[in-house]
Amino acid sequence: MKKSYLYILLLLFLFTGIMSCKKDEKETILETPMEQEFTVDYATGFTIKEFPEYTLLEVSGAFPGTENVYRYALVKEGASLQKSSDSNPESLTSLLASNKIDAIIKVPLQSVVVTSTTHIPSLEMLGVDQTLTGFPNLDYISSEQTRKRIDAGQIKELGQNEAINTEVAIDLNPDAVIGFGVDGQNNSLNSLEKAGIPVLYNGDWVEKSPLGKAEWIKFFGALYGKSKEADSIFKSIETGYLTTKQLTQNVTKRPTVLSGAMYKDVWYLPHGESWPAQLIEDAGGDYLWKDTQGTGSIGLSIESVLDKGQNADFWIAPGQFGSYSRLAEANPVYAQFDAFKNKKTYTFTTKKGATGGMLYYELAPNRPDLVLKDLVYYLHPELLPDYQPYFYTPFED
Amino acid sequence: MESQPIHTVLSTENLSIGYSSKQGDTMIASNIDLAIPQGQLVGLVGINGAGKSTLIRTLAGLQSSLSGNISLNETLIPNIEPQALARQLSVVLTGQAISKNLSVLELVSLGRQPYTNWFGSLSESDLQSITSALKATDTETLKNKKCYELSDGQLQRVLIARALAQDTAMMILDEPMTHLDLHHKASVLKLLTNIAHEQQKLVLFSTHDIELAIAQCDQMIVLQNGKAIINTPKQLIQKGVFDALFPSENVRFDSKAGRFVIG
Amino acid sequence: MKTNRSYTIPLIALAIGLVCCFFINISLGSVAIPLSDVFNSLVGGEVSKSSSEFIIHDYRLPKAIMAIMTGSGLAVTGLLMQTLFRNPLAGPFVLGISSGASLGVALFILGGTAFGITSTMAFGKWGLIIASATGSFLVFLIVLGVASRVRDTMALLIIGLMVGSLTSAVVSVLSYFSKAEELQQYIFWSFGSLGDVSWQSIRLLFYCFIAGLILAMTHLKELNALLLGDTYAKTLGVNYTRSRFVIIIATSLLAGSITAFAGPIAFIGLAVPHLIRQIIPTSNHRILFPAVILGGAILMLICDTIAQVPLSEYTLPINAVTALVGAPVVIWLLVRKKKLVF
Repeated sequence: MKKSYLYILLLLFLFTGIMSCKKDEKETILETPMEQEFTVDYATGFTIKEFPEYTLLEVSGAFPGTENVYRYALVKEGASLQKSSDSNPESLTSLLASNKIDAIIKVPLQSVVVTSTTHIPSLEMLGVDQTLTGFPNLDYISSEQTRKRIDAGQIKELGQNEAINTEVAIDLNPDAVIGFGVDGQNNSLNSLEKAGIPVLYNGDWVEKSPLGKAEWIKFFGALYGKSKEADSIFKSIETGYLTTKQLTQNVTKRPTVLSGAMYKDVWYLPHGESWPAQLIEDAGGDYLWKDTQGTGSIGLSIESVLDKGQNADFWIAPGQFGSYSRLAEANPVYAQFDAFKNKKTYTFTTKKGATGGMLYYELAPNRPDLVLKDLVYYLHPELLPDYQPYFYTPFED
Repeated sequence: MESQPIHTVLSTENLSIGYSSKQGDTMIASNIDLAIPQGQLVGLVGINGAGKSTLIRTLAGLQSSLSGNISLNETLIPNIEPQALARQLSVVLTGQAISKNLSVLELVSLGRQPYTNWFGSLSESDLQSITSALKATDTETLKNKKCYELSDGQLQRVLIARALAQDTAMMILDEPMTHLDLHHKASVLKLLTNIAHEQQKLVLFSTHDIELAIAQCDQMIVLQNGKAIINTPKQLIQKGVFDALFPSENVRFDSKAGRFVIG
Repeated sequence: MKTNRSYTIPLIALAIGLVCCFFINISLGSVAIPLSDVFNSLVGGEVSKSSSEFIIHDYRLPKAIMAIMTGSGLAVTGLLMQTLFRNPLAGPFVLGISSGASLGVALFILGGTAFGITSTMAFGKWGLIIASATGSFLVFLIVLGVASRVRDTMALLIIGLMVGSLTSAVVSVLSYFSKAEELQQYIFWSFGSLGDVSWQSIRLLFYCFIAGLILAMTHLKELNALLLGDTYAKTLGVNYTRSRFVIIIATSLLAGSITAFAGPIAFIGLAVPHLIRQIIPTSNHRILFPAVILGGAILMLICDTIAQVPLSEYTLPINAVTALVGAPVVIWLLVRKKKLVF
C-alpha cells in the first residue's frame, strides 16, 4: 500500500542521482603558432612558450609520475582575452572554458601566495618578495629578509598546506597562488580556483637534478615579466656549479660517503638518483648507495648499512642529529662508524631561521652551487681553501 | 442447555518436536496429537528437560517442528502469512531483552502492530483494544509508568496486557509464573483463567507449579518420556499419570489431596 | 505505538534551534564578515566586498549544508544500530563501514608506494570519494553475506568489529611503507572535513541522504517492534530477516556516503540518540526519528562553528571537535539524570 509508494520514490531518487553524475573532461591539444620558446636546459617539469598575445607556462611535472600537463596563460596588462585573430583562432576565455588551459594569470603579479619555503628564494633573488602576502606555516620561513616582513605583519598566516584556510585566502585575494602537492587532490586549492583566484602548481620539488631544481627560478621569472633577470641569475648559479664540478673531475681519490640515520629501527638514506646523491657525486665523492633507485628515501636495516658503510670516509647529513654525544646517546651503534670515530660527520641542521625553519630546506634547492661548494670544501679541502661553508657545519661534540 | 459449536483453535497431528543440527535431529517428543477448543485454560507440565519450552516455542511458530502438522483455526501454520498469524496467536515469553524505557502504554500498544498500517498509526478501535487490555489486567493505573519502575508481578501483567491487546484467538505463555511470589502467581493465574473463560480464548501456558495447574486448569498436557498426554486434571489423576511423573523415590503423588508429598 | 504525551513542543524547539544554529554557523568564520553582508549574500543584495559574497555563498553555505546532512544522517544511523543491536554502545560504524572507507582511501593514497603505482591523478578529484565509497561498499557486502548466514544478530556486531580491526591492520602496514607526504594526506583525510566541497558533491550526497532516510522511514514501525527483542517482534508479524536487511542497507548507504564525502566523522552517530533520549525520553521511533535528525544537525553545526575557531586563521579538525564537545555533554547529562535512558 503506501509503503510501496515510498519504495518507488526511493528508486526514482537514486535514479536521478545517478543520471546527474557528470564527468570532467580535459582536452590536451592547443594549436596556435608559437613565436619562441625560452630555453630550459635542466628542468624537465616546465616549459615557457611565447605566443602573440600571451606566454604559455606549461607544467608537466607537477607531481611525481603524473601525466597531467597544466597550462597557464600569462597575459600582460592591457592584452585582450577576447580577441580572435588569425594567429589566435580561439580566445583565451573560451580556451579556459573548454579546459584547454587551466588558468589565465595577469602578469606581472602584484600579490602572490606561495606554499613552499623553496619558492621564497626565487622571489627574493628576483627582487619581488614584497608581493608575497600569505603563506601557510609562517614559522618554516628562515630567510631574514622575509622574516622582517612577517614581523611587520605584511604576510598573512594561512594555516597548513594540506588545509589552507580557505576563508582567509579568499579574503586576501592574491593575483595567484603557487601550490604544490602530492597529487591534485587539495580541496582548499580547488575552492580558491572556484573563487576566481588562479592556482599554479610548482613542481620544483619533483626535479631530481640539482640544476634542474634551481632552474625553476625561470618559472617565477615568467610570472613577474622578469625572464631576462631570471635567466642571468640562473646562468651565474649554473656557472658557479659547473666550474666547481670541473674542479673535482680529475681527483685521484674519491672519498666514500655515508648518509642518513635511523628512525625507530629503520635507516633512511637517499637513493642513488636523488638530488643529494647527485651532489655528492658531483662534489667528487663516492656515495656508497649510488647504484640504488627509487622515489623518496630508501629504508634499510642497520645491519646492511653497517656492513656497507662502516668504513665510509665521510658521513653527510645524518638525519636531524647535530652532535656526536647526541648521536651516541640515541644508539650506540652509530659510534661504530669510522666517520664517527674520525669526526668526519657534517650536518646542515645548525643553520636555522629565527622561528626554527631549516635554511637548507628553503635555500639549498635554489643554490646548488653553494651546496656543491660546501661539499667540495669538506670532501676535498685542498680545492677550495678560502671558502666559507654556507649550509653544512661539522658535528659538535 | 444449548450446545455450542466446539471450535478447535489448536490442533496438532503426529507432531514431533526437537532440534535439527548438522549432526542430525535430536527428538525431544513425538506423536503429539492435540485438539484444543477455545475458551480453555491449558497447563503444560513436565520435569525439566522434558521439552516444555521446546513445545511452547514450536507451537508459537518460533521453532520448526521435526515432523507432523500444527494447525491454527483449522489452517496449517506454514500456510499462514506472518501478519495474519500474528492476529491469531500471541505469546508471552521470559528472558527477553525488552527496552525498559518503554512506558506501559507504549508497550501494550505494540500489541496492535498486526493491525496497523505501514507507519504504525493507531485507530480508534486500536485504542479501545489497548484500554480494555489494560483494564482486564488491572494495569490501567500504571499506564504512564515506565517499565523500569514496575515490580516483577506488575511487569508480567503488563506483558500479558500486550498479548491481550493483540486480540488473538490463542495466547501462549512460557512459564508466566516462575520467579513470582505466591500472591502474584495467584493473581496471574486468575487473570489467565478470566482471559480464557470470559474472553473465550485458548490460553496455553507452561509451568513448574503442577499443583496450581491441577487446581485451576481445564486441561493439562503432561510431557513425559517423549510423549504428550492431554486430559482434564481429574482424569490425569485417575489414570495415575502424576504418580510416575518424578523419577525420584522421595516424592509421591497423593491422589486424594491432589498434591505431591515428600517421603 | 501510542506515547503518553505529545512531544510536539520539544520537536518544534529543536527545529527552531536548528535554524538558529544554521545562521550562527554561516555568520562566524575565520574572516569577520558583518551580519548585513551575510544576510545580503544569501538573498542577493549588495555586499561590501565581493570576496565576502563568495565566502558566504560558496564556502560557508555548502559547509553548513554538509554539516546538516552529515549530522542528521549519522544520528539516524546511530539510532538504527542501537535499536537493531539492542546495544547503547552501537553507532554507525559498528558494521565496519568507516573501516572499509579508511581502507579504500589508504589504498588510494598510500597504496601507490607500496604497490608501485605512482599516479592517482587518473581518477581526478572523484578518486578519493570513489575509493572511500568502494571500501565501504565492500565491507557492506561482507556484512550482508554474513548476515544472511548468521541468525544471531550479536554475531554481526562482533564481525563488524573484527572487520574493523583487520582493515586497521592493513592500513598500518601501508602507512609503515609510505612517504611522509602521503601519510600526511591520509591523516588529514581521517580528520574529517566539511568545507571545500563542491556543489556537485553536495547534490550527490543529498540523493544518498534522502534515499537513506526514506528507507529508514519505511521501517519505523518495525523498529518499534524491535524494542521488545527480535523474538517478540516476529510474533507481532515482523519479517525480521527483511527488516534487518533494510536497516543495514539504510545504515550503510547513509554512513558510507557521508564518509565518502566528509571523511570519517566519529562520535555523532553514537552520541546524538542518547542526547535526544535524555531530553525526549520516549523510545517511540516515530518521534525519535525526526528528533535525532534535528538534533544531529544542530550538534554538527555547533561543532563546525567551534572547529572554524572564529576570527582565527587556524582551524581544528572536525573529528576532534565532535568528541571534545560531545563527550562532556553526554557525561554531564548522565551524571545529572543518574540513569541511562535506553
